Amino acid sequence: MNQSDKRVFNALADDRSEKADLLHGVLRELGVNFASGVPCGVLRHIIKNFEDDAAVLHVIANRESEAVGLAAGAYFGGKIPVVYMQNSGLFSASNDIASLLVPYRMPIFFVVSYRGCEGEDAVQHLTTGRATERLLESFGLPFEVFGNQNLENLTRSLFETMRKAEFPTFLLLKRGWHL
Amino acid sequence: MNRQETIEIIMTTINPQDAVVSTTGLISREIFEKFDSERNIYVPGSMGLASSIGLGLAMTCSTKRVIVIDGDASLLMNLGSIVTIGNKQPVNLLHIVIDNGAYGSCSEERSMSNTAHLDKLANDVGYHYVRTIGSKEDLKCAIMEFGRGPGFILAKIELGGRRDFRRPLELAAIKNRFMLFMKRPTKGGLPS
Repeated sequence: MNQSDKRVFNALADDRSEKADLLHGVLRELGVNFASGVPCGVLRHIIKNFEDDAAVLHVIANRESEAVGLAAGAYFGGKIPVVYMQNSGLFSASNDIASLLVPYRMPIFFVVSYRGCEGEDAVQHLTTGRATERLLESFGLPFEVFGNQNLENLTRSLFETMRKAEFPTFLLLKRGWHL
Repeated sequence: MNRQETIEIIMTTINPQDAVVSTTGLISREIFEKFDSERNIYVPGSMGLASSIGLGLAMTCSTKRVIVIDGDASLLMNLGSIVTIGNKQPVNLLHIVIDNGAYGSCSEERSMSNTAHLDKLANDVGYHYVRTIGSKEDLKCAIMEFGRGPGFILAKIELGGRRDFRRPLELAAIKNRFMLFMKRPTKGGLPS
């Protein structure tokens, strides 16, 4: 993937992404019918997929913690929620994940954009970028970083892990994942 | 009016079929000890999220009323939540804020609710029904008069009260029984 590709950086480009369409379709087949999160340019395609899907109740939140609360409420009410956010927000919401979703054993699927990786041009992402996988490891929560794997298989297997573990579970997507 | 009386009036005045989401600390612990029920969800950690959980629940289950029992300091921790509630207009959500002007479950450090005008904020962001009350009678009336939400009751109470309540610990079991409760059809639909 070429990081200087305009499609990676132009967050207002009104393009579609086959990968995002695929991820959306797989999540829908897995029963997802609620989405909440805080927008990130890296996730713009999948957010639009949720927004355009009348079968998904989609609520944009003011902060990542709020999205965790909304998804927890939806789960209690019988929905199958997805929460999306940037990894920076994962740190803001980390206590809510650890003190609400974990002790209540809530299998909630997180789609998290992964800034601060190799090639990052914004300094504010470097510290959280270095710590993201270690945060999830230290919580003992399942996660996968999407790279060269088959996205459908990866998502299905991660979802299955989540259902068995009954814990929040995380799919990390780097810039350009949608190409 | 104190916390014990406030909680007692809320829990005995709401409809038995209403779902209850209560905030972190002594509010949840007092409800757990005295009014534990399958219809309750306690928010022992993640302080501030009770209203967000209540909104997610209310939007998902339109046939049940959702009563959020919040505190002033916990609402202030997640104040953006009232904006979301005002925007989404859940008709079945009643948000009650027990306001003792302090972090009552810590060491009673003062919160900023005395200058926050939480009731005015709720009104301005779009709550449909807003009441501010300071007596047991008015609280009972405000709950009974609540019709179409989103509703907001600011209950001003005195600081203090018992602190040695048990903690809800078996959260997975509390979740399972609550989810069964939510699945059960509501008799007669929403009270008008």
